[in-house]
Amino acid sequence: MIPVSFYLTLAALMFTIGVCGVAIRRNVIVVFMCIELMLNAVNLSMVAFSRTVGNLDGQIGVFFVMVVAAAEAAIGLGIIIALFRSTRSLESSEASELRR
Amino acid sequence: MMILFALLGALVIASAIGVVALRHPIHSALCLVLNLVGVAALYAMLDAHFLSAVQIIVYAGAIMVLVLFVIMLLNIKVEQPHRRGIILTLLATLAGVCFLGILAPLFYRGLRGFTDHSSKIEGTVEAFGELLFTRYLFPFEAASVLIMVAIVGAVMIGKRHQQGGSK
Repeated sequence: MIPVSFYLTLAALMFTIGVCGVAIRRNVIVVFMCIELMLNAVNLSMVAFSRTVGNLDGQIGVFFVMVVAAAEAAIGLGIIIALFRSTRSLESSEASELRR
Repeated sequence: MMILFALLGALVIASAIGVVALRHPIHSALCLVLNLVGVAALYAMLDAHFLSAVQIIVYAGAIMVLVLFVIMLLNIKVEQPHRRGIILTLLATLAGVCFLGILAPLFYRGLRGFTDHSSKIEGTVEAFGELLFTRYLFPFEAASVLIMVAIVGAVMIGKRHQQGGSK
């Protein structure tokens, strides 16, 4: 049986890579994907904890995180398309003003 | 079991690095799909069978198709390297290592108090559904309202604005 701390270490590494990606990359779609990466890291740690503690509540939490991620994907990609229409680029540094 | 975990861990970490490091967004997205499938396999190893299936269907199936669709719709060029890029990358990596340094001791010291109930629970559809429709019924319904609002919001944001006057 694999100890839970292995899963948590893996999740921490994934989360850190996601944080670095948000800081490094300037393409908003890649930033979006890095946020998905971080959500997945947290999900993985919650499933690992759920098994360690011995009830399913953590997995229910993961389910709701997935629901929110789906909603976020719909809205986020809509915003990305609107941003591309108004600035003609996907650089996050181009989107520095709120009005059109 | 351990070998499988090591292989999956290597796959997950490598593809996560690929998401961040590759220049073209399509390559990043394909790496993310690989990552999501790897995480789904890890869920299966943790006896979360239902979540493993949902991960593949919802994440790798629906969300990533949406992302790839948007990438292809917008026809994005490869990101140009930036002047400050190297310094920024180094600083961000340093920040990440510091963050990991904060997290790592927590895992090894904080987990000692846990009693491991492993292998007592299984996230089958039956167990999952029973919990979801009894104790978590209200959050479940609220989630469906949230999805509905998100769809309407996405349509509103995506709609083309008419010239002059907000319609």
